[in-house]
Amino acid sequence: MLEILIVGAVSSAIYAMLAVGFTLIFGVARILNLAHGSFYALGAYGAYFLTSQLKLPLLPASLLAIAAVALFGVGVERVLIRPMRHSQLAVLMITLAAALVIEQALFLGFGSEYRNVPAFIEAKYHIGGVDVAGARLLALGVGTLVIAALWTFIQRTRLGSAILAISQDPQAAQYMGIPSDRIFSLVMAISAALAATAGILAGPFLSVQPTMWLLPIVKAFAIVVVGGLGSIPGSILAALMLGYAETLVGYLISTSWTEIVSVLATLLMLVVRPAGIFGRRAAF
Amino acid sequence: MSAASLLEVRELNKHFGGLHAVRNVSFDLQPGEIVGILGPNGAGKTTLYNLLTGFIAPDAGGSVRFDGRPLLGMAPHRIAGLGISRTFQLCRPFVGMSVVENVVVGALGPRREPGADLQAQAMSLLEQVGLHGKEQQPVESLSYGDQRRLEIARSLAARPRLLLLDEPFAGLGSGEIAELSALIRRVHDEQGLTVLLIEHKLHEFMRLVKRVIALDFGEVIAEGTPEEIVRHPAVVEAYIGRGNEIAQEGTHAA
Amino acid sequence: MALRSGQRIDAAGAAGFVALMAALPLAFDSKYLIGILTVSVIYGIWAVTWDFMSGLTGRENFGHSLFIGVGAYTAGFLNTVYGANAWWSLPAAMVVAVLFALLMGFPTLRLKGPYFALAMLSGAVIMQRLMLIFWEHTGGEEGINGIAPLIRSQLGFYYFALGCLAAVTALLLALARSHWGLILRAIRGDEATCQAAGINVTFYKIASLAISAAFAGAGGALYAHYQLQVSPQLFAVVTSILIITMVYVGGMATIYGPVGGAILLVLLTELLRNFGEWRLMVYSCTLILILFFLPGGLVAPTWRRLRAAFGASS
Repeated sequence: MLEILIVGAVSSAIYAMLAVGFTLIFGVARILNLAHGSFYALGAYGAYFLTSQLKLPLLPASLLAIAAVALFGVGVERVLIRPMRHSQLAVLMITLAAALVIEQALFLGFGSEYRNVPAFIEAKYHIGGVDVAGARLLALGVGTLVIAALWTFIQRTRLGSAILAISQDPQAAQYMGIPSDRIFSLVMAISAALAATAGILAGPFLSVQPTMWLLPIVKAFAIVVVGGLGSIPGSILAALMLGYAETLVGYLISTSWTEIVSVLATLLMLVVRPAGIFGRRAAF
Repeated sequence: MSAASLLEVRELNKHFGGLHAVRNVSFDLQPGEIVGILGPNGAGKTTLYNLLTGFIAPDAGGSVRFDGRPLLGMAPHRIAGLGISRTFQLCRPFVGMSVVENVVVGALGPRREPGADLQAQAMSLLEQVGLHGKEQQPVESLSYGDQRRLEIARSLAARPRLLLLDEPFAGLGSGEIAELSALIRRVHDEQGLTVLLIEHKLHEFMRLVKRVIALDFGEVIAEGTPEEIVRHPAVVEAYIGRGNEIAQEGTHAA
Repeated sequence: MALRSGQRIDAAGAAGFVALMAALPLAFDSKYLIGILTVSVIYGIWAVTWDFMSGLTGRENFGHSLFIGVGAYTAGFLNTVYGANAWWSLPAAMVVAVLFALLMGFPTLRLKGPYFALAMLSGAVIMQRLMLIFWEHTGGEEGINGIAPLIRSQLGFYYFALGCLAAVTALLLALARSHWGLILRAIRGDEATCQAAGINVTFYKIASLAISAAFAGAGGALYAHYQLQVSPQLFAVVTSILIITMVYVGGMATIYGPVGGAILLVLLTELLRNFGEWRLMVYSCTLILILFFLPGGLVAPTWRRLRAAFGASS
């Protein structure tokens, strides 16, 4: 029981980091970025590369990887997404194509075997009769901190208000002189950084191979649809729901069914309540 | 309240959250009438159209009958199929298609005559609305005024019995308004079409409509001939600050 | 019926294309070539069906592989588990595919563009997963093997598939040029105005998805009886994206363009065979380049220029 509680919490934290980044860029720029999962993958691979090939210690390697992915995200937005912004479908296609290119690049660069991202904490802890990997606990802790920090940033700073303004009314925000393009880049950087961080934290206990981008994006999309597009609290709540639902299914039925949970949830939500739990913008 | 009313609206209400957008609206339309709905912006006119044509569902308790047939609960395309055509306040043409194709699609509903030459009918309609020569152009290349004309041609393509026009004169110059007005009158006379027309400027109405229903804040505040409406105290108050303007318009347009 | 000069050139072009495709294996006696041509013809069917629904209505479907996969698996089941004659596969695949189209279509077609696309993608992902979960019945990762060929002769099967492609393309092209096609394009233009014109938008969207699915499923059955095996890979995202790329290369909403797109991309695959691992990379980059520089495609614009050169007036 406690095990389920903790494993579920860890999954939820990782998913929350993925979903919040995804919903942020959607809420602000109306971009459904299918390459979001690629940022997750690049974070994990970046940490792997910097530690195993360049022999950097883990912490600087991680920070460097996160920064690099954030910059890369800004680049993708500028070069690939911005010219396509007239059509949401075009953005979908181009980000999907980008995700495929990145997957292939990782495959060509690192091969298809599973890679090892070192963990910050190797130790196992014994809590309430259950063995929990330190790495998982760290993921939970850091994930919660990061999201709390982001929330505070958005609620308390001027930049944060600008972001909120654009997501509520892009036209009005422009009239007020808020530089939307620069904000888009900033939000993209934050979004990519969040995904990369999730990849680095989850790397030690989730699989690291070139196709690892697809499932996170499917789940991020599921969470964001269930929680409501553009709503951060919605994403957090839905991430918790999905994280626990998957964990329960995994324990009670079998692990092979867990992947379906998120996809089924997406479909059901789109059918029953396309606006999601907290969404203001409906999917139709 | 004649038993032979073409359109019979009773106690129509619509709330959007706390906003009571349409309040207890009731009125009748006789076949062959041209009736205007007048009201300032936000009076609930377009909402009323959306309720009548099935795009939004009204609050419980109201009724709408077309030729005796209840309309509430019917999907928009079925209502259109009964012979009610409407235009939209903001023109929404079929982008990516040519002008004539836009009109042909208007005729493809259930009222389509089997075996009719829809292309020829569309060309003829386009000529009537003054778009002769522009049939093959992509619809995006039309000016705003031309798009409005296209809307009307498209709505007429289904050979409707009742035409609901939503601010057809918006954005047009006075010459164009006169032409469009004449077109509406001609179509009404030739085809026995019943026309309901929304506008928020009284001047355009005066010569065209026989009867006016005035709305404000979602309620019917007055009904009568254009001359009566112009002098009606509730109407004048609704246009507060423009009261003098209305009196002047009333005396000028005779 | 007198055809306008433009239509005569089109008919000549189509006939010429089919004749060329039929003659190629006779000119070069190569099993390898027949194989490539067969695969490109089947992909052509899939691309044309995608274009009919998504190209015309503008509702891009990212889960086309769902219909392909269920068609293929239906063929596989009928043939191996139930021992049915291979010729039952085609109609059966079409029926099953239509059922799935109705199942997925009703709830998802009212969603806006990107959500419809991703909802259909979710459907394909679920099916792929289910094939793996119920591995005892479906063969899991390995899929179903030992499917009987439809026509023993490799050349014979190729001609049959080519005939299917020609028939499907002709049918869908005729539909696209009829009032049906006008309505689908109007739906792309503005759905509310369509409804105001009396058109039952939901019916047309679902019916078009069903038509698209039926023939895509038939193509899946053809594929099953060609490869003689089916696997969950058929449901993969990559399949759907590859088909969409073929349509972009061919020319969106032209119906005939995607045939050329399919052939070009299958050829590209073969030419890149030596580059093995780089193939998917090249596809994805191709897609990006097309999206940026040739949104109207390659094949259809080229044909239109050829037509004009031959003096067509329309």
